[in-house]
Amino acid sequence: MGTVHIKDEERIGSEARVKLEPSVYLQKLYQTGTPDLGWMNNMAEWGIRAKPGNLGLRLKDIEIGSYGIVPDHGSDHRSMAPRGSVIPEGVPSLGFTLNEKAEVWAENAAELYEEAVARQWSSARDIPWSELKPLPDDLERAMCQLCTFLTEVEFIAADAPTRWMSHMNQDFFEVKMFLATQAMDEARHTDVFRKRALANGGGLGVASALSELSLKRIFDAPSFSAQTGRLHLLGEGFVLTLFRQGEFIAPSRVDQEIFRRCMQDESRHVGYGTMHLRAQLKANPAVAEEIHEQLDDAERILLETFSVPEQVEPMAILMGGGIKHFDKGMEMQGQLWRRIVHEYLQRCDSAGLDRRPRCILPTDFSKLFEAPQNAVVS
Amino acid sequence: MPSFPEPQWFLALGRLMEAEGALFQRLGFAETRFVVRVIPDEGANGGEKLIGLVIDGYRLSEAASVDDLDRFDPDFVICAKRSVWERMLAEIAESGRPSLRHTLSSLALVGEEMWLESSDQLREDKFYRYNQTLQELLNLASRVSG
Ligand SMILES: [Fe+2]
Repeated sequence: MGTVHIKDEERIGSEARVKLEPSVYLQKLYQTGTPDLGWMNNMAEWGIRAKPGNLGLRLKDIEIGSYGIVPDHGSDHRSMAPRGSVIPEGVPSLGFTLNEKAEVWAENAAELYEEAVARQWSSARDIPWSELKPLPDDLERAMCQLCTFLTEVEFIAADAPTRWMSHMNQDFFEVKMFLATQAMDEARHTDVFRKRALANGGGLGVASALSELSLKRIFDAPSFSAQTGRLHLLGEGFVLTLFRQGEFIAPSRVDQEIFRRCMQDESRHVGYGTMHLRAQLKANPAVAEEIHEQLDDAERILLETFSVPEQVEPMAILMGGGIKHFDKGMEMQGQLWRRIVHEYLQRCDSAGLDRRPRCILPTDFSKLFEAPQNAVVS
Repeated sequence: MPSFPEPQWFLALGRLMEAEGALFQRLGFAETRFVVRVIPDEGANGGEKLIGLVIDGYRLSEAASVDDLDRFDPDFVICAKRSVWERMLAEIAESGRPSLRHTLSSLALVGEEMWLESSDQLREDKFYRYNQTLQELLNLASRVSG
């Protein structure tokens, strides 16, 4: 083997503050020439032969024997020592605070992780940018304002859950790995809507104090599950419908591809949130009140967003196909509102949260402008 | 020649899906069982057709008439009148994909001409999770004769 030349080798360590102690083990090894090999007799469950399924070797295929057991209480050592490995004495704690399975778990976390990895896409490669054609000014301005909103709000779903991720016991690594894919998805959403705003003769529009308030409240949620209710169930559920509306209103195939692909990603996030809350509420029914309180506030802020034109009008213009058909666009938005509320409540049902009696979202969009203002936002 | 919505017609789509391996691998795997429900137009003869489909990764592994929806246990049912399905297929035959507002997702969003039925929102959401795969599968219809 050739000798690697290291630049200024004689200077290395010349000012070191820490003295290097020789390794007792290596001294013995070099003196005797006999390896220790004790670790070979100190393996965890041995003889495991995971078999790949038709889609390759997935996490579910390695849930075998003791390795497939996810403990209800995360390990007390609170380190990143892999679940199922032999844990030596003295591993330092990383101070995880979410150590109960129910606090983070979702039965579909591993499945969604694998799916997310398999269904990643590139906004540079997979969007047919070269097909983008100039749009009428009103449509381009509306699309750019919508993209401004989306590029503003999307990354919260990376920033907020990953704050909790570092507090999760490593025994629940499937959840952390799923959240890592969610962070990657949100990075792509942030990038693709920014790119779209800057790609067709427009630019960014106006940011939103109300959106920022809803993002701040997501940040401030007092627990991971409370945040999940607010973020994954209501916030991302709402954005999922927005992406579907985006697919529908897309004035070009470029926009359609963007929204459709984001929609796919977003439904994984909603799927995790729904299943996490199902697990949490089953194990700890009392948590329902905390989630209800979050949703009381989140629903109120969602309704407030309909009080500013830059949130309402771009979608109506895109829905109607231009300012000329603004009324038609508003009418369609009203019709879709019912679907948003219906699907949100269905997801709450699926999570095991009886939200219907407490929900302040009217099923009829006209209530938003017919009711006295303070009845809507109080 | 099988014609829409015979199971054999869907199986022909499935064979094209496998032949197009690279496209579907790039979209990523999908795992879902769903039903296509074709409702006769007013005044038309014959009853409605239910075709149960299973996508297992990158292949359509099953396409068969369904008598008992509960037994088939689909994640979701995509429902539309025959004329709506046929319009979509005609547009696909013409240009390889449906027109912008006639995609599966767009039609299901409006919910008038096409709608989804499901017992659980979480399972219905698979329609969105795998939407590109479902649309690309249907877009292969331009290459199925009959
Ligand atoms: Fe998301």
